[in-house]
Amino acid sequence: MPPRADLVPGTLDLLILKAVSLGPLHGYGVLLRIEQISGGTLLIEQGALYPALFRLEHRGLLASEWGVSDNNRRAKFYRLTAAGRRQLKDEAEGWQRSAAAIASALGARPEEM
Amino acid sequence: MWARLRSWLAAVVRRDRLETDLSEELEFHLQSRTDHWVRQGLTRQEAARRARLEFGGVDKHAEACRESLGLRLLDELRGDVRYALRQLRRTPTFAVVAIVTLALAIGANAAIFSLVDAILLKQLPVASPRELRQVAWLSNEGAGTLWSGIWYNGSATETAPRAATSFSYRVCDTMRRQSTSFSSVLCLGHVEQVNIGAGGRAVLGQGQLVPGNFFRGLGVTPAVGRTIDAGDDAAGRAPVAVLGYGFWERVFGADRSVIGKAITVNGATVTVVGVAAHGFFGIRPGTETDVFLPLVPMQPLVYDEPGMLESARHWGWLVLARLKPGVSDEQARAETETVLRTELRDHPPDTTVTDLPRIRLDDAGRGSDQLRGRLGPPLRVLMTIVGGVLLIACANIAGLLLTRMSARHREIATRLAIGASRGRLARQVMTECLVLAVIGGSIGVGLALLLRRALPPLLSEGSEVLHLDLSADWWVIAFSTIVCVVAGLACGLLPALRAPQTGLAPIIARTASSITSASSRSLVGRSLVVVQVAVSVVLLVGAGLFVKTLLNLRSEALGFRPDHLLVFEMNGTLNGLKDTRLVNLYEQTLSEVARLPGVRSASLSRWGLLSGNGTSDALVVPGRQAPIHVDVHLVLPGYFKTMGIQVLVGRDISWSDREHATPVVIVNQLLARQIGGASIIGGTVQVGDVHAQIVGIVGDARFSELRTPPRATVYVPFRQHGEHVATFVLRTAGDPADLIPIVEKTLSRSQPDVPISNLRTQDAQIDTAVRQERLFANLVSAFAMLAALLACLGIYGTLASSVSRRTPEIGLRVALGADRPSVTWLILRESIGPVCIGVAVGLLLAFWSTKLIAGMLFGLTPRDAATFVAAAALLFGSALVAAWLPARRAARLDPMRVLRCE
Repeated sequence: MPPRADLVPGTLDLLILKAVSLGPLHGYGVLLRIEQISGGTLLIEQGALYPALFRLEHRGLLASEWGVSDNNRRAKFYRLTAAGRRQLKDEAEGWQRSAAAIASALGARPEEM
Repeated sequence: MWARLRSWLAAVVRRDRLETDLSEELEFHLQSRTDHWVRQGLTRQEAARRARLEFGGVDKHAEACRESLGLRLLDELRGDVRYALRQLRRTPTFAVVAIVTLALAIGANAAIFSLVDAILLKQLPVASPRELRQVAWLSNEGAGTLWSGIWYNGSATETAPRAATSFSYRVCDTMRRQSTSFSSVLCLGHVEQVNIGAGGRAVLGQGQLVPGNFFRGLGVTPAVGRTIDAGDDAAGRAPVAVLGYGFWERVFGADRSVIGKAITVNGATVTVVGVAAHGFFGIRPGTETDVFLPLVPMQPLVYDEPGMLESARHWGWLVLARLKPGVSDEQARAETETVLRTELRDHPPDTTVTDLPRIRLDDAGRGSDQLRGRLGPPLRVLMTIVGGVLLIACANIAGLLLTRMSARHREIATRLAIGASRGRLARQVMTECLVLAVIGGSIGVGLALLLRRALPPLLSEGSEVLHLDLSADWWVIAFSTIVCVVAGLACGLLPALRAPQTGLAPIIARTASSITSASSRSLVGRSLVVVQVAVSVVLLVGAGLFVKTLLNLRSEALGFRPDHLLVFEMNGTLNGLKDTRLVNLYEQTLSEVARLPGVRSASLSRWGLLSGNGTSDALVVPGRQAPIHVDVHLVLPGYFKTMGIQVLVGRDISWSDREHATPVVIVNQLLARQIGGASIIGGTVQVGDVHAQIVGIVGDARFSELRTPPRATVYVPFRQHGEHVATFVLRTAGDPADLIPIVEKTLSRSQPDVPISNLRTQDAQIDTAVRQERLFANLVSAFAMLAALLACLGIYGTLASSVSRRTPEIGLRVALGADRPSVTWLILRESIGPVCIGVAVGLLLAFWSTKLIAGMLFGLTPRDAATFVAAAALLFGSALVAAWLPARRAARLDPMRVLRCE
């Protein structure tokens, strides 16, 4: 098992958007997808996923409808809206920029100063 | 933003659905996770436990989901409202007192505001009222010296002359034809009394001459039939009329078959072609126009003076104009001014014009009138008064809440201890107040709407019928809502700020706190007392001033006996009668009513006494330089006897003082003294153009206004002056009101075509003359009493709770040897301070503010010292009584019982 990392505050929404962007998912599916795409390294409290999903839907970034899951149960499926796709793009770019900046800052060596 | 609102609304409206969906969704997650762990080899029970553990608190996350949708505030609000209602049910006396207080205060505000709205704010129900302008002009010359028939709006100020609002028809017509800045220019006659004959009976109504473009220009549609159009407004056209909606309902019972029927207007036959839109009362606020007539064909028929349209001298026509969109007022003003100045150049008046008139455009979206100027000040006073009452009501409820909260000390402390946030507690107090305000406000506004019809007569003057559009519009609704919310917040603010501070510590340290007095809670209570006392004092001073004004007016010596008099008016000119035939009609009517049983004597005059109307002229005495300004009173014989005015020297007017006999006059004592005493009998004076012989001197009497003392007056025989209106007076043996139906019946039988109006007793006439003063005296007294009562209740409540809080301390003092007077003083002292401050603040406020009502007072100054002292003493006395009751209770405390309780 790889070492686990706590979620950086504010990134849960971004991860959810990313997960849903790959195809419609129910809440539990979002959890599995995040675990899968992060290589199982990110630790999230499962219950906290739902307020985040509600919040994103409330903001019009996600849309939802009821459908049937793989195990034949009724489940609520989320998909990305056009606004959500824009938001994901903006946030992902912003995140990559700051991550690169931080990585470069941390990689600085004394002789470069 | 839009997505959020939609999602929130969906969640609120379909709340049940949301809840089931939410639990189903979370359940699905837990099930799937349980399956996952079962697959990993755990028992079903163990797997479910594991899933739940990983998930965290289900309720907590569900609540977070609701919060994500913005539902939490709503849920809490709902909870608060439910809690507030439960609290109110638990203390029904408080709830009832608070709701009734707020209902009265908010209802009074809504009622007075509906008047303010109708008179000062409401726009005419026409298309784009904001584009309407009334054309007025100003000249230092004095418009009346240039032309005749001038109408004015408002009064002259130090910087500007009075604005004249009327023009000659030709000027008006030129404006209409040449104007490029106005989309329409309307030349109008004034709203005037006309005699309308319909269905075999004659009624007096309000008529207005209107141009062919009137209805189209204003954008007023017909309710039935058609409106007057350009085709009707030309010389030689068949005379037509459009009825006002109210008149149509009253007189014709809203019968649609009235279209095409003939009615008479001042004797001329006209055909009804339509009824104006419902809710359109004409363009003059305060009056309802009953019949609209096309100006050009109807002018000679309605007025007995021909040639008023062609005359360059008669300037009696109003101009209303609609500004074209995008044209500035200044552009239109300049253009109109050119028209006026061209007319002056081409047709100069007899007097040389040295100050060229300037045009002014007044906003006419709310109609053309003088009503706003007249009723503005009393309305402002009324609005201030009801505002003051509301303030006191709020202060009172805040005081009651504080008292109740100190009783709920333990509950609040406990709730704080188990984790309620302070903000939440404050919000609950606020919610409770808002609930009170909404309930009280709804009742109050409902009452105001029910009773609003009773309001306009209170503001009307003399015999005028004030017709106001009191239908509730957005202004009234918005105002009432704001008042409710503000009242609720005002009631709750102080208690809400106090609530969180009522912490746990004082309860735990109960003994310690009970010995220390003067906590900050009572400081708040005392400042509320200051506010209530101050406002009460202001209202009491106002009440005193108005009551004194009324008493002063009613105790004025009139110079005649107003009791046992019946008066009514008749205007035969509206039937086209003139000169001898007119006077003959009057004399015939007089002899008829004089014969009625119970009538001692009867006579008539041009104007009734104290009716608000009068005529004046210049009197020239031979050998004297300066003419004397005199009131001219036209009377028939027997007038002095009927009115109870004493003939001092000489004789009464006799039946032989007719048209071609020697002109005679009778003068009053005041004038006689001015021009030479009793020796003037037989002398000659010139009144107007007539030289007349003085044949008698009579006592002084008030003429047109109750407020004006008697002036130099001449009495002229009615027959020696071709006059129009007649006011009959009957002195009766019994109650004059008993004769009212008899007179009505007799005259409707003998003179069915000539309606009589304003049939009333002279006492009733005087009552109407002081109606506004009476209204203010009664209303302000009632409000002031209410305010003082509420203030006393506030003082009582504050002290009573303070006594119960200080009981242990008082018990200790008594046990240590304090006697009753010193204990009484201990408690009294607590209230005397705030009451004194309140009285002082109130007196200062009154001193500053009563000058605003100076114009409404009579016979005293707005800073009448006696009134101020009386108001202060009255309030101080009642406050002392209110404070003494709890103080006495404190003094009678049994120290043993108190200390045992501790």
